Amino acid sequence: MPRRHDDERSLIDRRRFLAVATTGVAAALAGCDSFGSRRLEPALAAAQRANERVERRLFRHRSEDRIPGGARLTGDAFPQYFVSDSVPIWDEAARGVWRLEVSGAVRRPLSLSLDDLTKLPRIAQSVDHFCVEGWSARAQWIGVRVSELARVAGATGDAGYVDFQSFDSDYHESWDMESAMHPQTLVAYAMDGRYLGAGHGAPARLHSPIKLGYKNTKYLTRVVFMPTRNGGYWSDRGYEWYGGT
Amino acid sequence: MTLTKRTHWVVRVTHWVNVVALPLMVASGLRIFNAYPAFARKGESFCCYPFAGKPIPGVLTFGGWLAGARHWHFAMMWVLVINAIVYLAFLYAHGEWRELAPRRGDGRRAWEMIAFYAFAKKEHPHQGKHNALQKTAYFAMPIMATVIVLSGIAIWKPVQLHWLTMVFGGYVWARYVHFMAMILLVLLVLGHIFMVFAVDPYALRSMISGWYDEDLSPEARNARPFYHLLPKRKRVLATPEA
Repeated sequence: MPRRHDDERSLIDRRRFLAVATTGVAAALAGCDSFGSRRLEPALAAAQRANERVERRLFRHRSEDRIPGGARLTGDAFPQYFVSDSVPIWDEAARGVWRLEVSGAVRRPLSLSLDDLTKLPRIAQSVDHFCVEGWSARAQWIGVRVSELARVAGATGDAGYVDFQSFDSDYHESWDMESAMHPQTLVAYAMDGRYLGAGHGAPARLHSPIKLGYKNTKYLTRVVFMPTRNGGYWSDRGYEWYGGT
Repeated sequence: MTLTKRTHWVVRVTHWVNVVALPLMVASGLRIFNAYPAFARKGESFCCYPFAGKPIPGVLTFGGWLAGARHWHFAMMWVLVINAIVYLAFLYAHGEWRELAPRRGDGRRAWEMIAFYAFAKKEHPHQGKHNALQKTAYFAMPIMATVIVLSGIAIWKPVQLHWLTMVFGGYVWARYVHFMAMILLVLLVLGHIFMVFAVDPYALRSMISGWYDEDLSPEARNARPFYHLLPKRKRVLATPEA
């Protein structure tokens, strides 16, 4: 059978292509399950650090979440969520009256009852809630700005981070100071005009539209100003620490 | 054999980077989507997605779990964006955008290609480097990619870049645009892959080495999908069977 020269050339090319392609795919799959190669984890971590730098540079206090006036709030469909086996409820008989402790890198540590909290300057805001899973919801929150707590407690200059701790098992999440001082970052004690229900973090929770839901600690007990970051419940389990929106 | 240098190394490198990075980006995005495979805000309904609540099959996803998929997604976005910038900067600097930019008569030429593929026309329409359908596809891809990147940034930073999110009609719609533009880009890519193997497999050579044999072009072979895939044999070279 006659074989034309260019036929042969193109066959070689196809063979070479297949060789290159298979090597490439094999290399990509080496040591790889659907999670991706373990060897690439340092690269992913580096990308995450780079992303955090971009996110922090992008961050502005005057960028606020706004929902249209008269927009429908999510109400009862707002998901309830906690990490304990059952709804965390503050046991007054065992633990005494609930108080919010504001401590750490502050000149005047505070211990606030719910009553004290409601006497501080009050902010009401209807905002979005962005979950890391991709859904969003809307509610009206009433509470005190974390920046107000920082002012009253006299947060010192070396307070670069804030840890928000809870009585929902060991749940906590630490934040960068800039985000904590954002005007829409509240310690909220009411949702949609009523005091928080047990499913939504009673008696007080952190709420801000500027970070993903998991950064907003519910069942709050302590607000601790710190010179270094302190990870968090989901941040320590592989989720992005910064989680800004 | 008429070999011509057809594909610049910048185009070849950025093309193969896409071949690796784009599937990872799509599959990790689908894993993220599976954490909430719907578009409606909680407690509301959404008009335009009939498959709400149905997760994407696991084999099409990558990243293992939501946090892992997010790490991959937010890492590959840099690879793809930088790759796209290199490619587009090259097209601009080298003048090759002229081969992709729409021109007067492209619509007619695209119809001629469709008529040819549908056997309503006998001869392959005359073309330059790309036929009119290819041109449309290759011109649409960077546009879809731009929409995907912008809507992606809009759902990444719905508060800090609130204005951008509003350009897409808010968070819910930005997420939908991000998803649907991805589907369109994937369809374009699948069409592209199909046509390479069904019409012009010889183009693989130019995407690897840069060299293309004009004698094997679809126009020279009068090739439709799966028709005249092999080069025409010249009669003078044929040995008559005994």
